[in-house]
Amino acid sequence: MNAQQKLPAEKKKIKLKHYINYLLILALLIPFSITGLAGNIKGSTSLLLTQIAYSMILAVSLNLVVGFLGELSLGHAGFMCVGAYLGGYFANQMHAVIGSKLVVLILSALVGGLMAALFGLLIGLPTLRLKGDYLAIVTLAFGEIVRTVFMNQEIFGGALGLDTQKYGKTLYIAALVFAIVTVFVAQNLMRSKHGRAIQAIRDNEIAARAMGVNITYYKLAVFVIAAFFAGIAGVIYAHNTTPVDYGFFSFNYSIEILVMVVLGGMGNITGSLLAATVLTFINVKLTTQLSGDLAALKFLLYALILILMVMWNNAPKLAGLRAKVNFRNLVLWIKQTVFRLTHKTPEGGEEPPTNAAWDKIPTKIEMDAVLSTDLKPDRSFEADKPQAPTKGDKQ
Amino acid sequence: MKKFTKLACLVFALVFCAMGLISCGSASYTANNTTYVIGCTGPLTGDAASYGQSVNNGAKLAVKEINEKGGLNGVLFSFEMVDDVAAADKAAIGYTSLFEKGMQISLGSVTSGSAKSFAEAAKEDNVLFMTPSASAADVIAVGDHGFRVCFGDPQQGTIAAEELTKTYTKIGVIYDTSDPYSSGIYEAFEEKMGALNKTKDTDYVVKTFNKESNKDFSTQVGDLKAAGCDVLFLPFYYTEAGLVAKKAAQENYNVPIFGCDGLDGIADQLGNTVTAEVKYITPFDLNSEDAAVKAFVDAYKAEYNALPDQFAADGYDAVMILFEAMKKANVNDVTISASDLTDLIKPILTGGEFKYSGVTGKNMTWDAEGSCNKDANIVTLDR
Amino acid sequence: MNTLINGLCLGGIYALIALGYTMVYGIAKMLNFAHGDIIMVGAYTIFSTLALMGHPIPAVIVAVVVCTVLGLLTERVAYRPLRGASPLAVLITAIGVSYLLQSIAQLIYGSKSQSVSMGNLGSVTLFNNVSVSISSILTLGLCLIIMVALTLFVKKTKVGCAMLAVSEDRAAAQLMGINVNGIITLTFAIGSALAAFASTFYLMQIPSVTPTLGSMPGIKAFTAAVIGGIGSIPGAMIGGILLGVIEKFALSVPVLAPYTTAIEFGLLIVILLFRPTGLLGKKRREKV
Repeated sequence: MNAQQKLPAEKKKIKLKHYINYLLILALLIPFSITGLAGNIKGSTSLLLTQIAYSMILAVSLNLVVGFLGELSLGHAGFMCVGAYLGGYFANQMHAVIGSKLVVLILSALVGGLMAALFGLLIGLPTLRLKGDYLAIVTLAFGEIVRTVFMNQEIFGGALGLDTQKYGKTLYIAALVFAIVTVFVAQNLMRSKHGRAIQAIRDNEIAARAMGVNITYYKLAVFVIAAFFAGIAGVIYAHNTTPVDYGFFSFNYSIEILVMVVLGGMGNITGSLLAATVLTFINVKLTTQLSGDLAALKFLLYALILILMVMWNNAPKLAGLRAKVNFRNLVLWIKQTVFRLTHKTPEGGEEPPTNAAWDKIPTKIEMDAVLSTDLKPDRSFEADKPQAPTKGDKQ
Repeated sequence: MKKFTKLACLVFALVFCAMGLISCGSASYTANNTTYVIGCTGPLTGDAASYGQSVNNGAKLAVKEINEKGGLNGVLFSFEMVDDVAAADKAAIGYTSLFEKGMQISLGSVTSGSAKSFAEAAKEDNVLFMTPSASAADVIAVGDHGFRVCFGDPQQGTIAAEELTKTYTKIGVIYDTSDPYSSGIYEAFEEKMGALNKTKDTDYVVKTFNKESNKDFSTQVGDLKAAGCDVLFLPFYYTEAGLVAKKAAQENYNVPIFGCDGLDGIADQLGNTVTAEVKYITPFDLNSEDAAVKAFVDAYKAEYNALPDQFAADGYDAVMILFEAMKKANVNDVTISASDLTDLIKPILTGGEFKYSGVTGKNMTWDAEGSCNKDANIVTLDR
Repeated sequence: MNTLINGLCLGGIYALIALGYTMVYGIAKMLNFAHGDIIMVGAYTIFSTLALMGHPIPAVIVAVVVCTVLGLLTERVAYRPLRGASPLAVLITAIGVSYLLQSIAQLIYGSKSQSVSMGNLGSVTLFNNVSVSISSILTLGLCLIIMVALTLFVKKTKVGCAMLAVSEDRAAAQLMGINVNGIITLTFAIGSALAAFASTFYLMQIPSVTPTLGSMPGIKAFTAAVIGGIGSIPGAMIGGILLGVIEKFALSVPVLAPYTTAIEFGLLIVILLFRPTGLLGKKRREKV
């Protein structure tokens, strides 16, 4: 933290940045694993965590396509469906042969993922030359086709859905580990030269082609990798829920995943993880808390939350306000207050400890945040959080 | 940026650490109960919402009546229904949240797919469920903790085949391939028709639809009309059946319509154009002269300003059955755990002595599998 | 034959919805997923006014007014603040609006489907004993009229030209003195009014309303719009009718019937494989 020398400090920073995603998942994994392995985790917590885990996998993998590659996909639930049905079916066969549930889970995840990747290849090969919204609708169509076809197969349980064997209450541990693997692959892929090629395609396809990037190859590769992880998410779903119901993998669910990606930020894996966690949590809590006659309010609230969150994150008019009131500034403010309270230095002490590094040029936003502690609120922002430190002064 | 994210993560880690410690499962979720808690999941939003809503209304009415009469040994009842949007995964989540809120006994779930999921989850905790309306055979086959109030799908398909072949020569069937209820009845129907030496396309013509195209029935009705079917067999819910009936009326195709218990509730779906005779297998007849049914219909009307359908009646009966069984078992401990209660109630329900007469049938008994034995009567819709 | 006529009718409804989709997409460049739910609102409005007045014509007028106002309102509240932001953000608010409308409808009218009687207009018998209901003919005829009127409006009037200009290049249009915001608002008004008409025809064919009425026709109409080439008015019409006919034919063949949805969307994929911008879509050359 206290960077005296430039070089090691930089190295350290890079490392921290890259471990944040893992830390985030581990923050979920470790405390709950302790209670879980002790055998007394609540059923609802376990279900919630599993759902968060597969939402994370879905959001991160969709982010590869939407955020990094820049192609809109509305059929991610379709790949999940492939994984859930085929992986689930495979697991059913394996349970008879292999006793260990964990081994079955891992094997079926591989099988489900590979099958989903195969479907991704099949659908991607002919259609990836389509542009923008046309590709989006093809993926949507794919998702609808896949689930209808699976639903009509007697071997997969027909209308009632595929019967699967539940993994049990500790599934979330395995699921979160899968999420870590997904993050690992996604992050390292995007930091490699392949990742740079992929992002070059997003930024300007023609320029990328001119630079010698093999567009088709990379598009297909990203599509297949995303499908693979969606398939794994499907297998986790199949181990979590029985029967595997075709209605779940509808277009609406694809949209829900997309919402996570967009809210988390395009091409931002940490954001996807956070959004997946928060949205899943909100969704589950709204469902379980608003019971009986209140249930109709659930979508109302969810819709409002959604609209407000998107507005807050994206509306151009709110940009100024957003720069003032955000989580980062809140954290900064908390730090400043804590710093002031502990050090009790009346002059100059407001400077937050981290911004001391001379080599770090403060961005405009951070400048504002720093300055706002001293400035009187003469500007027209009605934001109250950055002003709050003045209250701290009075104490 | 990095600082901020790192700190954010730390905050998250702390929050979840705290949550992890809080979320230790306790041995008894029912220790703080002050009422007997009956739980249930069902669709309260989405396409199937009206069915879940009906069950919710019926069950709440039953709980209200029980409580007005002083509950069981002075202890009142409460009922909670969690929305599952007729989806399996939400039913499991709904189940666990209810269980942790202190649910002691349950009505399972309203639709078949989610009821199965509910049953699987409830099996681990040994929570008895008495589903009002999930009729698929698989639902109560999950374990011996499952019971149902309604008929099973196979039962209805068989009755329909027997009944229809008595009077009609060519039966037009439409069913929903994406719905377990509808396809379950159809499968049994087809089997029975085979046993009765009837052949497809000559003695009965089959058309299908699915959840994605369940609004416009012009093709199916037109084809069955062209095939010369003299009766329509519609083994699905009243929402779609109402559309079929209206479409048939629009095409001047006024053959009788025959359905299963899902058709109950169709009365206000028909508009003023449908003149065809509508008959369905149902345990519940809205216009019955029976005192219990009349009292129920009046109470329901007074409470919700609407007419009850079969879902509401089943929901009402399911709660009443559980209440009667608990009364018979003389349950006297409000904090009794779900598992203990199941062990008390199960032998009573399957013992053969326990009989319940409610609004959906007289002298109902339950076999070891959990299916309900009661008389099926065929009701003609009275308009 | 019967199937063909049924398909044409359903296709007419899809086409009308698709017209709304395609107009909004062409000009505002956003997928308005709430469009299907505006149809639902239109249907409930008709249901309510029918119950009050008892005659379909005022009901339709009220529905057109309500839908237009609603369209304008959603545009103002949910979409305009995000103009200039990522199109995906708008997509998500559209979905939010869709959820919002559905749950409000459920809160007001309950979840049970309500029967709406638009009155039976009877049917006429054509050659070969094929009877066609008058409402079907009306649906198709009016669809055609609306389509022609829209095409003329866009091609011949000044406002229509302004719309074309905005859809071609928003920035350039603004520089030419076109009020872009006004044009987009107008497009939403027209699209929503079309939705009200669509709900009228929908109720003629399918006389009942539920809160989730709009979602499936919405997606299918979106598909139709893409099949026809999104942004193209005759394309939306052709796409809608094609989709309706295919759906009905698939449903009438027992072996294919369970796969109807798969066949419809399969058709979409096949068409896009051969014509990547839909049947009548414009090919755009990429510029460096």
